[in-house]
Amino acid sequence: MKYPLSFTLNGGNVDALVKPTDTLLDVLKEKLNVQSPKRGCDTGDCGSCTVLLNGNPIRSCLTLALTVEGKNIQTVESFASKEGKLHPLQQAFHNHGAAQCGFCTPGILISAKALLEQNPHPNRKEIVEAISGHLCRCGTYLEVIEAIQEVVGQSGKEKGK
Amino acid sequence: MKDVVYFAPSKLDEAAHLLGVHRGKAIIVAGGTDIVGKMNCYEIKPEVIIHLGALELDYIREEKGELIIGAMTPTTKMSLHPLVAKKAAALSQAAAQSGSLAVRNSATIGGNLINASPAADLATPLLVMNARVVLAKSSGKRIVPLNRFFVGPGETILEKEELLVEIQIPVFSGKTAFLKLGRRRAMTLSVVNTAVRLDLENGVCKDAAIALGSVAPTPIRCYQAEASLKGKPVNPANIQSCAKIAAGETKPIDDQRATAWYRREVCSALIERAIKDVAGILTH
Repeated sequence: MKYPLSFTLNGGNVDALVKPTDTLLDVLKEKLNVQSPKRGCDTGDCGSCTVLLNGNPIRSCLTLALTVEGKNIQTVESFASKEGKLHPLQQAFHNHGAAQCGFCTPGILISAKALLEQNPHPNRKEIVEAISGHLCRCGTYLEVIEAIQEVVGQSGKEKGK
Repeated sequence: MKDVVYFAPSKLDEAAHLLGVHRGKAIIVAGGTDIVGKMNCYEIKPEVIIHLGALELDYIREEKGELIIGAMTPTTKMSLHPLVAKKAAALSQAAAQSGSLAVRNSATIGGNLINASPAADLATPLLVMNARVVLAKSSGKRIVPLNRFFVGPGETILEKEELLVEIQIPVFSGKTAFLKLGRRRAMTLSVVNTAVRLDLENGVCKDAAIALGSVAPTPIRCYQAEASLKGKPVNPANIQSCAKIAAGETKPIDDQRATAWYRREVCSALIERAIKDVAGILTH
């Protein structure tokens, strides 16, 4: 049995017909052609499918699509301006080479954006905590931290502690 | 494959009725962080899904001095709520350390308890606070102490047509603390976790409660260890012997996260640290 679902996606209303067992990730990728969230583990461990629900990061792979009825979902597709100007976080990730294969990057960008919206001047520890739910098998963690530090106006160069 | 049916009741009566009608076939989804992962891996194949998001069970409030938390309250909300930090510091600390931020934003207190994982992070703080759970079905509600709720791994006394709707937490004088050891710092299941509640008067223990997770088929209270500390000065020697007794009350197993031997060693160390933490004794 399929059920109608409508919610706000990146500022616009979307509708889909979904099965109760479809996750938000299934619907985004397979029905709405939103490809930035990635299916890594499908059990919530890797963080690559992270999206914003009403401004807070959640795992789209662990969220049943029907439970986001009427809610506000944001993905990395909403980051850059219509003219193609990158979001400051995207630009900083680019500057620092914070993406290697890029698979985990959209999820990390989502968590970084939520962090900066709730806390515009996080220290290094707060940045590390905010991205701690994301696995990067290329090991770009230090570059990711530097990139986020650049956006909050810290040097972004110090390593180690 | 059979079609799956979905309900999102907005009234408790309706939810209880649906559970009765679909007795045994219905899967209840709260935050979904555990159960949807299991569906994705085909460990669970639901026929009926009942989502509790519309029941308005997402609340934290004070009633007659007690802390009352709705079963659908997300973990993040508990970790940030000043009332939880003030009345049940250990619960606030446990909430801040469970899963990862994105998981805590969805995962609920009710889901954590219903799963009945021996390693459930929120169970040990609630056990030392003598928390009660409110269970509801069509014919009425019952209130059960949390230490009688868990039966075994994944098993509780909850009946098939019953819902966990609320957690009630009595307030004690004294302080609480929660400590957890995992394989890594984030998004990790506890190898061992402990919560301690201590009421001190001039350095002497008036009341103590100690709970351990991930070292027995259910989260447990360590009643012998608690008794060993009551009425005694809280000094390093008494703390050490109490922590040893607590480790003796556990029944840990070897699994992929740790060996039983290691878990016992960690129990003593964590309890010692937690008691010193609560008693304000410097460890370093």
